[in-house]
Amino acid sequence: MRKTVWVGMIWLMGTTAVLAQGSQARWKRSSAGSTSDLQLFHSTQVANLYTAETLQQSDILFEISHRFFPPVSDGGDALFGLDGPVNMRLGLGYALSNRILVTLARANVNDNVDLWVKYKALQIRSSFLPMIIALQAGGAWNTQKYFGRDRGDSRNFQYYGQVIANTLIAKKLGIGITPTYLQNTQIFSTDTENSFTLGAYAQYYISFGYAVFVEWNPTISGPRYQYNSFTAGFELETGGHFFKFILTNNPYINPSQFQAGADVPFDSDNWRLGFNITRLLKLKTGQ
Amino acid sequence: MRKTLLLFAAMHLPWGWSQATEIQVDKSQKNLVRFISDAPIEDFDGTTNEIDGYAIWEGNEPLQKSEIYLEVDLASIDTGIGLRNRHMREHYLETDKYPRAEYSGKLTKAEKQSDTVYKVATEGKMTIHGVENPFAAEGTVTVDGMLFRVQVSFPIKLSDYKIKIPKIMFYKIDETMDLQLNFYLRQTKEQ
Repeated sequence: MRKTVWVGMIWLMGTTAVLAQGSQARWKRSSAGSTSDLQLFHSTQVANLYTAETLQQSDILFEISHRFFPPVSDGGDALFGLDGPVNMRLGLGYALSNRILVTLARANVNDNVDLWVKYKALQIRSSFLPMIIALQAGGAWNTQKYFGRDRGDSRNFQYYGQVIANTLIAKKLGIGITPTYLQNTQIFSTDTENSFTLGAYAQYYISFGYAVFVEWNPTISGPRYQYNSFTAGFELETGGHFFKFILTNNPYINPSQFQAGADVPFDSDNWRLGFNITRLLKLKTGQ
Repeated sequence: MRKTLLLFAAMHLPWGWSQATEIQVDKSQKNLVRFISDAPIEDFDGTTNEIDGYAIWEGNEPLQKSEIYLEVDLASIDTGIGLRNRHMREHYLETDKYPRAEYSGKLTKAEKQSDTVYKVATEGKMTIHGVENPFAAEGTVTVDGMLFRVQVSFPIKLSDYKIKIPKIMFYKIDETMDLQLNFYLRQTKEQ
């Protein structure tokens, strides 16, 4: 009997000593990694084409963009096109949630008022090839009054939808494709026609705050203005601001107008200067 | 014989976790870890909800035997500006190498202030950016049934953890950051 008690005691003391050393806690790490949203491109748009990025909930994004109509080849007398005339766009974006961004903008060409919503639909986490798929849909109302047509005429409205697929290779090279369907491509054509374009872009993040990018937006089917759009540019990011300086053959900025194509080919005689400036405004800090 | 058993029982009690109470971070609550930094031009703060961990103590004497472990996912800190987030993650916190801030320690004070509010203190070791330092802080715990709300704030000196002082664009931020934690732990079933 006494022997049994001793054996029991030694066993129990051994057990408690082990327990006292190690943690008794049953807690386990609940998730392997961060659950925050994936972010690949730094900005919500490249120049004219959109990335799959959205903003943080309740953020506001103010945008002012210009496309100088005369080409750079007009030379110093026209200040390389900067004398104007200029196509401009003013925009205001608002993040309904971390994944839904709404933007209302107006461009001076045909007094085009544009409203779109983008939804960051799918995020694929991978160290090799992370991907984000977003869906964007918008409508434009060309509000300028023309002879023989009411402002509210149905031909003054255009609608578009697009899928945006992004990836980022080695944290440096962002690549995106954005197939887009545009309804009522040319608002003054005899019949309502629709176009399908296959936008593609690449952006290389050189170093902290600096990047270069190219965009190509070929029309696959349906009407096109004259030429496919090509844009190349430089991006400066300063924490809250993006400055994008571009060369392009397409003088239009609002999506329903840009998607309809360019009026001149992309060659050195026809390059136009342009810029986009965006400013992020935080309504809420903290929570 | 009876004596031996009593002796055994006496030896046994202070060593084991015979009646341990464990509380774990309740991720369904609005947990918030906030970093506040003074800078000459504009103050900024970084926030995350990604805090996890537990506290465990024995019986009615939590000061005698307790264990606290908390961790914060540093890659999830959001300063509201993408460029600043990336800069912080890649150049200063190096979250690929050191993804978490980890604290482990024990309870050193638990003073009852009212029926539900306790003033508490903890001492232990904090590891950030791969550097371990002794750490102590005081805070408030509010108990609501099985839910424990913890509020604590303390400064962190960046050089103590070999974190270079971030130069955010053209100006520097302060060497000391204030941290404010407000999070909830929920008691698990008795062991």
